[in-house]
Amino acid sequence: MSEARTRALARLTPWLLPLGVVAVWQAAGAAGLIPGQIMPTPAEVAEAGWRLGRTGELWTNLGVSFLRALAGLVVGGGIGFALGLANGLSRTADLATNTTVQMIRNVPHLSLIPLVILWFGIGEEAKLFLVALGVFFPIYANTHHGIRSVDPQLVEMGRVYGMSRWTLFHRVVLPGALPSIFVGLRYALGIMWLTLIVAETISASSGLGYMAMQAREFMLVDVVVLAIAIYALLGKAADALTRSLERRCLAWNPAYA
Amino acid sequence: MIAFALRRHDAPAPSLRRKAAARASSRPLRPPPSPGRAGLSVALRGLGKAFGGRPVLDALDLDIRAGEFVAVVGRSGCGKSTLLRLILGLEAPTTGTAAVDGAGPRRIMFQEPRLLPWASVVDNVAVGLGPDVARAERRARAGAALAAVGLADKAGAWPATLSGGQRQRVALARALVSGPGLLALDEPLGALDALTRIEMQDMIEGLWRDQGFTALLVTHDVAEAVALADRILVVEDGRIALDLPVPVARPRRRGDAALAALEGRILDHLLGRAPQAA
Repeated sequence: MSEARTRALARLTPWLLPLGVVAVWQAAGAAGLIPGQIMPTPAEVAEAGWRLGRTGELWTNLGVSFLRALAGLVVGGGIGFALGLANGLSRTADLATNTTVQMIRNVPHLSLIPLVILWFGIGEEAKLFLVALGVFFPIYANTHHGIRSVDPQLVEMGRVYGMSRWTLFHRVVLPGALPSIFVGLRYALGIMWLTLIVAETISASSGLGYMAMQAREFMLVDVVVLAIAIYALLGKAADALTRSLERRCLAWNPAYA
Repeated sequence: MIAFALRRHDAPAPSLRRKAAARASSRPLRPPPSPGRAGLSVALRGLGKAFGGRPVLDALDLDIRAGEFVAVVGRSGCGKSTLLRLILGLEAPTTGTAAVDGAGPRRIMFQEPRLLPWASVVDNVAVGLGPDVARAERRARAGAALAAVGLADKAGAWPATLSGGQRQRVALARALVSGPGLLALDEPLGALDALTRIEMQDMIEGLWRDQGFTALLVTHDVAEAVALADRILVVEDGRIALDLPVPVARPRRRGDAALAALEGRILDHLLGRAPQAA
């Protein structure tokens, strides 16, 4: 078999299962095996998407959710990354803050929703706060771990060869921690969507979660399912983005190349 | 592997030719042209080191001439690596002084290659230049050092794609790219297979003759010490138990009777056997 064909097949294979499920679902729905009020057929979901896309409602809500997710990721991920670096590099910072961070980590961040609503109402701050808190921990923990597990022999080599602290950091420590930081980013992306959806479902006036809750009020099952399908695609897109970043940044590592 | 071995055999020739050329004119692509031998000399006075109250080295006195090739052998844990680290200034002595005199950086080659996996081979070699060399010059000098260890064609490769012997040659190029006055070798060939090890020994000897640095080789392989060194120190219980010259002309042939006799004598000493009549 030619190499091009093998590659094309490898690209196609992961999609066979989801496409098969959709096909069976469509057939079962069309045959009347699944009642329409319980589960619309994929064609009906696509039609709902088309309808909401034409009115612009879908794009507005999608855009709102995307911006919230991004803002939360930047804020929470940024703080987590900075604190992970600080605690990974400095014993003093680690002693001062790590215990506190670990305690807070064990509180499920979604349990804070009632408190957050009391604090911020249902404004943007509430969503930003929850998403930022959610993505903070995986990025913090994996950055910290990545820095701590950099090969001490390489660090010694850098010192012996006269690297300054900054050179040692950006040529030895940070690249060594990068695979672990990427693991943290992938976890964070999952938590980011999860948190956002829950927050939007409970307390929001726009966004994908809000759109789904509104649809429930009016018994629009097709829109509810549409929202769920979009989450799946967004999750896949985020994962694909991290993978391509990994391939670019970790090309030296045989496990990623 | 066989092709590789054959290729390595003619490697000393170009390096010798370069040496002749260097004598005649200034050296191209070399660190600051050094007049004649440019090694560092080492003087240890009453040098001692203890870890947690347990002495590892005890009141050592030792002089190493500039440009000398000294091998340090001994059993595991006898303090030979500590001696190396003290001379390089990687550890502070508990008592006494370790004075290193002369120009040129001090470099070390470890048992592991310790290459940065995320940097290309040529960038890894450039690490050895330190921070004060301009970008364009870094590339040129790192490339020249790579060529000297026969790996010019691997400049852009990732370390993960190299064999163990090739990685150690990159580490050697990194140690030598700055034109060091002292090269410390901490069992650098211990993890290599026998043939690759002999090729690396020839390469280290060739580069040492070419560049004139002081070489300090810590090894547990007595045959290696005998093949390479001008002088062999046997360290035992934190002291220098034997200090033997190796009065055999270079290039040395492996299996030479004089070398074998010396090797036997050192092994007898290390194993605590009575020396046998030669």
